[in-house]
Amino acid sequence: MTDRPRILVVDDEPQLTRVLRTGLTSRGYDVRAAADGLAGFEAFNDWHPDLVITDLAMPNVDGLELCKRLRAVSQVPIIVLSAKGEEKTKVEALDLGADDFVTKPFGIDELLARVRASLRRAKAPPMNEATQTTLDSGDFHVDLDSREITVRDKPIHLTPKEFDLLVYFIKHAGKVLTHRTVLAALWGGNYVEQNEYLRVFVGNLRKKIEPDAATPRYILTEPWIGYRFDPGPTT
Amino acid sequence: MRRSVLDQRWAGYAVAALSVVVLTLLLKIVGTHVNAATVSLALLLNVLFIATRWGSLPALFTSILAMLFFNFFFLPPLGTFTIAATDNWIALLAFLVTAVTAGQLSASAKRRAEEAETGRREIERLYAELRDAFERASHAEALRQSEKLKSALLDAVTHDLRTPLTSIKASITTLLDEARGEPPVPLDSDSRFEMMEVIDEESDRLSRFINGLIELARIEAGELHLRRRWGAVDEIISTALTRAEPITRNHHVELQVEKELPGVRVDERAVSEVVYTLIDNAAKYSAKGSTIRITARRSGEDLIEMGVEDEGPGIPGGLRERVFDKFFRATRDGDVTTHKPTGTGMGLAIAKGIVEAHEGRIWIESGNGNKGTRVLFTLPIGDEDVVDDLQYSESKVSAQ
Repeated sequence: MTDRPRILVVDDEPQLTRVLRTGLTSRGYDVRAAADGLAGFEAFNDWHPDLVITDLAMPNVDGLELCKRLRAVSQVPIIVLSAKGEEKTKVEALDLGADDFVTKPFGIDELLARVRASLRRAKAPPMNEATQTTLDSGDFHVDLDSREITVRDKPIHLTPKEFDLLVYFIKHAGKVLTHRTVLAALWGGNYVEQNEYLRVFVGNLRKKIEPDAATPRYILTEPWIGYRFDPGPTT
Repeated sequence: MRRSVLDQRWAGYAVAALSVVVLTLLLKIVGTHVNAATVSLALLLNVLFIATRWGSLPALFTSILAMLFFNFFFLPPLGTFTIAATDNWIALLAFLVTAVTAGQLSASAKRRAEEAETGRREIERLYAELRDAFERASHAEALRQSEKLKSALLDAVTHDLRTPLTSIKASITTLLDEARGEPPVPLDSDSRFEMMEVIDEESDRLSRFINGLIELARIEAGELHLRRRWGAVDEIISTALTRAEPITRNHHVELQVEKELPGVRVDERAVSEVVYTLIDNAAKYSAKGSTIRITARRSGEDLIEMGVEDEGPGIPGGLRERVFDKFFRATRDGDVTTHKPTGTGMGLAIAKGIVEAHEGRIWIESGNGNKGTRVLFTLPIGDEDVVDDLQYSESKVSAQ
């Protein structure tokens, strides 16, 4: 039994699985491959990988269905491989439980960075909402009791909704969050189509926390999809 | 439309008055040669004329005026409105009733005719409007369908271009990282070789795909240039088999070519390409160790029928036409089997284009024992009177 992180690659393109297997193995990961969603789900149940990388368009059980099935039984990080122009499917995959996506064609470094971030997030101790009183993430420090926030050691003043939004981003740092997911979490199920609410609050939040709101470095926009929060350097 | 002065109702009254005066004058000039009956008939004709031209009220006006003129100028005692004889009273009354009735009837007939004409014009206008609306709707629908098709084709093309590009990009970045000394574990020689092999294979795949696109575009534009000349069927098959040797190594290839087949006047290179495509598909979609059967026989007087049969999963009846559509792959789009498609989705479309450019036909049947796939195509033998005076006589044939 090896302690190398296990990665399951699910793709119907044998050439790509060959490359990913070799590329990931050389970086110290233990890799297995499956040719479709059905084989992928079976491999997951047999092998219990630490992370799943899956294509979206596959015969039999496709990537979306695989995300759904995996989320029903596990919180394993899922990275989907998608193509430019498949924004709708990407959003669907993220809403179904995928944690991140990489757009084809991609360099191995980009994929490796996403793999590391997803594994890091999965390894982080789960937050105990009931007892936790502070959050520390990169440049951000949050006192949940007094509702005070400092960014780069400078206190900032936020409205209650902006505070909740920023805390939500911090708690899901590094993960791609669809508009729908954020709206449902903060405004409730009736507001999932009201992207403009979110746009206004994100705009205000950026003005208060970003060094330059025009080129944000914390709240990053994923075009047509949603946002990804990068808390900055972890020291 | 502009109405003329004569179309005005007052013009009807003016013409009525004038016509009665002129008619009376004329009748008075011919005087002694006309009797009261002739006068009344002439005046009645005038009433009918006014009624058909200007309608019922001018006709009524004409009738009364004509009755007064008839009485004053033609019924004794002349020059008065009194009537001496009883029969003249009856004649005058009969004239008036006839004039009014005839006037009203003809005016009503005129009105009906006008209404019918208006109705006809309205129907024509509605019909034209409906036809225009329908044409616009059909055009919009056709545009929408064409846009949908374009978008689907674009999706298929970008998918087929992007997939090998992804493997190439991932391989080359892995090799580059290693060359820069970045990975903690350097690649072993097998892994390095595998990466390069993937780059090589995927570049070939891209190249094949682009060549296929060019070939398809040529066929669709009707620019497939066939170099027809007399050739032997077994030679065409042999050329395709030699080329397909690397992909058929793991299969049994069985040849069933009828003896003494006549020569065919075809583009040998193009037909050999069709046979190769069918063998390639058979090898791809059937298990190792299974048999690929290649057949050729005479079909009727004028045709040669060639076929390639495999023992794979077969293609359901509903998809046997669609597999000839460009970018359609039964294994992916038809979800026939878990087999991985490695084709471009263009091979059969190109094969169909080539066969049809030769005025032949291509179709799919089940293989022996209702298992596997049998792709058959026919080619006309060719007119024996045509002699190739040039080694490469070139003919431009429009693909259908």
